[in-house]
Amino acid sequence: MGINTKAIKRRIKSVGSTKKITKAMEMISAVKMRRAVANVLATRSYAALAWQMLTDVAKKTNINLHPLLEKRPVKKAAVALIVSNRGLAGGFNSRILMETDAIIKKLKNQGVEVEVFVNGKRGKKIYQQFGHTITAEFDKMDLTMKVEEVAPMSNMIVHDYTAQKYDEIYLGYTDYISAIKHIPKIKKLLPLSATADDTLGAVGEPEDREVVASAEFLFEPNPANVLNVLLPRLVEVQIYQAVLESDASEHSARMMAMRNASDAAEDMIKELNYNFNKARQSAITQEISEIVGGAAAL
Amino acid sequence: MSIKFQIITPERVVFSDEIDQVTMNTQDGEITVLPNHIPLVTILKSGELVCKKSGQEYQMAVTGGFAEIRPDNSIIILADTAERAEEIDIAAAEAARDRAIKTMQEERKLDSAEYATLQATLDKELLRLKVGNKYRKIRPEIK
Repeated sequence: MGINTKAIKRRIKSVGSTKKITKAMEMISAVKMRRAVANVLATRSYAALAWQMLTDVAKKTNINLHPLLEKRPVKKAAVALIVSNRGLAGGFNSRILMETDAIIKKLKNQGVEVEVFVNGKRGKKIYQQFGHTITAEFDKMDLTMKVEEVAPMSNMIVHDYTAQKYDEIYLGYTDYISAIKHIPKIKKLLPLSATADDTLGAVGEPEDREVVASAEFLFEPNPANVLNVLLPRLVEVQIYQAVLESDASEHSARMMAMRNASDAAEDMIKELNYNFNKARQSAITQEISEIVGGAAAL
Repeated sequence: MSIKFQIITPERVVFSDEIDQVTMNTQDGEITVLPNHIPLVTILKSGELVCKKSGQEYQMAVTGGFAEIRPDNSIIILADTAERAEEIDIAAAEAARDRAIKTMQEERKLDSAEYATLQATLDKELLRLKVGNKYRKIRPEIK
């Protein structure tokens, strides 16, 4: 057996170990994806009930006076961008980055100044590749579990909006539709529109919302106070849901990418095995013909 | 007559059942809600929440949130965090409390935001301990 077969054998081994890694990553991502999806489902009832409460409050008081619902002429806007920490997830990050770039360009054409808050390490690219200003970078967990984990970002957003630093705040995330379909989305977060949101957190089928008879509610201490606590919570929950959706999308994108990689490795191993057998066969044939040739010469 | 009771955090539904009465800590003080209460929306303070069902008590540690009492005899609690007494890991809560106290006592000067966060953590852990210990004490009687 020649050098050729040795080289092929080494390649088979290396491709095989790569396949093991991609296979493992695929399985890990599958687990993380399932957990993220379960989390999104769990937040949905909270968000729905919180919106219901807001509509109840709206009946009692003019909620449009609250700073988080106030519409102002837009001079400066911010985009809170949610991406992943790591790559190897197919087109997951590049798609949301491109979508964000498009909306920022659109806003800039209208004469609006735009700044970006990024959540996730890969978000730096919005500056490196597209040249947009980043004002804040938040650490992101690989799998967000608790709502407190998004609190720094949501506090900053609420604070900056109330301080009139920004007149509009957008949320850039990836909507999880199914394991193979996720859509990058940019959604206006603030000013909050006083209606229940359509798609955020709506993984799978929407729940049936029971309609509550609009009786007179009593508010303690008073409606404005309830609103003051409720609205920032709603912002936080929306961000939380967006992060969870992005998590689910990221992990399913990575799962698909890794599955493709494993399949490609499998094909490659097959091909290499074929080549190896061919090389081995020809080496044997050659050896035999050499022996036969030698015997004939005697 | 019973009340449809549900307590939800952004992460999960903590407890959902038909109950007879519930006592909770609101911003204006502790209230007990019985069936046919008038519709009410109120802000909850961090504290213990106790609901009673056919003589049995269920304790929960709740840190802030809202309570909505609806006209159809149902109560919905949107809590920031909530834990049922039996879920509380006493040892972990004790460790967390000690950590918070230790950090607060350290010489290093904390800025007010840090201090507030720590204070909140400490309050939460103390509450968890209180509710958890109470549950442990009455546990043999339930059995």
